Amino acid sequence: MYLFELENVEYLDVIKYPNIKVNKGITTFICGDSGTGKSTLLNLLNTAKSPTKGTVFYLGRMIDEYDTIEHRKQVILVNQSVYLFDMTVRENFYEFYKYRDLDKPDDNTIHKYLKLCIADFNMDALCQNMSGGERQRIFLAICLSFMPKVILLDEPTSALDEKNAGNLISNVKKFCQENSMTLIIVSHSKQLAKQYADDCIELRNGADA
Amino acid sequence: MNTIVKMNIWQFLLVYILLIIVLIIMRRRRINQIKLLFIASIRMTVQLVLAGLVLTYIFENPHPFFTVSYIIAMIGFAIYTVLSRNKGLNRQFKIVVGVSLAVTGLSVIIFFILAVVGVNIFNAQYTIPISGMIMGNAMTGVSLGLKTFNENIRTGRNKIEVLVNLGVTPDKILTPFVNTALETAILPTLNSMLGMGIISLPGMMTGQILSGTLPMTAILYQISIIIAISAVTCMAVFCSLYFGYKTLYNKKNQMHI
Repeated sequence: MYLFELENVEYLDVIKYPNIKVNKGITTFICGDSGTGKSTLLNLLNTAKSPTKGTVFYLGRMIDEYDTIEHRKQVILVNQSVYLFDMTVRENFYEFYKYRDLDKPDDNTIHKYLKLCIADFNMDALCQNMSGGERQRIFLAICLSFMPKVILLDEPTSALDEKNAGNLISNVKKFCQENSMTLIIVSHSKQLAKQYADDCIELRNGADA
Repeated sequence: MNTIVKMNIWQFLLVYILLIIVLIIMRRRRINQIKLLFIASIRMTVQLVLAGLVLTYIFENPHPFFTVSYIIAMIGFAIYTVLSRNKGLNRQFKIVVGVSLAVTGLSVIIFFILAVVGVNIFNAQYTIPISGMIMGNAMTGVSLGLKTFNENIRTGRNKIEVLVNLGVTPDKILTPFVNTALETAILPTLNSMLGMGIISLPGMMTGQILSGTLPMTAILYQISIIIAISAVTCMAVFCSLYFGYKTLYNKKNQMHI
């Protein structure tokens, strides 16, 4: 059974998707030029948007049949433009956990995920003073700590240099494999895709791929 | 006490000299609102003269129909003003705002006239001016609340999107926006209470005193109307935003903002 399956999916008459199949437990890269609907695809997979035509399946069932909130907790989408509260790193973890109705994580847990995302900063540092790349990694750490079944990353390395980008994806991929998490990454970087993708979906403008 | 001195029309026209001063300052400072100054002054004059004529007629020919029509017109105008100042609300949100303003406004008006003042609701002399104060303030409050809410939603779009994608319920995401806007909308009313009687003698009381009412009676009216205004502002803004924000997402918890 496929994790995700798209059947004749269109979005707002602008984007026509090929019939995509995503396997469970592996790392899938979604590549393609701007405007081919890569980010929208992630939004369709986490039910933040619904297709105008066609059907999306999750684990063999129509995605509409799932409770959207529960689904999004299992299939977390990490936006390209991250959001962090104007607070310390630790308080940001607390705040997001509060939004998710979860107990505060302890410092060890926070540290573990920060390290995983190469964001091993002082937990008392204020996030508003950090660079885009640092914020991106902290936010990813928070998202991973929720331990979803699927994690969708939208350009997770857009604010990172090549070396950091490679290390980050390598760490995250390893973590996902260990925890049988499925990783789906939208990325412009052919290099990263070549190196880390188990499967690659290429989106093209307008036409069926 | 004496009754009020009747202004003669020429003396009255003198007050427009003050507007010329405003005009000169705006010209000098190149404030680009001269057109607004003219339109606002003219509209204010014409609208008030019309109101004066209509009220004179209604007082001379009292009939429940006139009172009711006047209140309906007032409420309609309040709703129209709020909606025209806050474009971009979806249809359902507009309906929520309209119903909220009408229901909370009417409830407070009826309670105030019947229970607090204790006169017939169709008594135009009481019901019309008091309804005006209540609806006017509810209108300002809702307008301010919606403006704050919309602006914060606009600037918080990224935050909202991120939280949606983490599986947070729209309720949890949007209620902080509702609370902030509600607070912003009711603060001016609460703050104005602080200075009342010291910095300013409020309009209603001033009017009553000028026309010869005993200050203590005027105060009782003023205190009650201020409380009614705070209540209606709070209720109208609360209902508009609380029921309104629920129109921003669908059954699939997808946001339309």
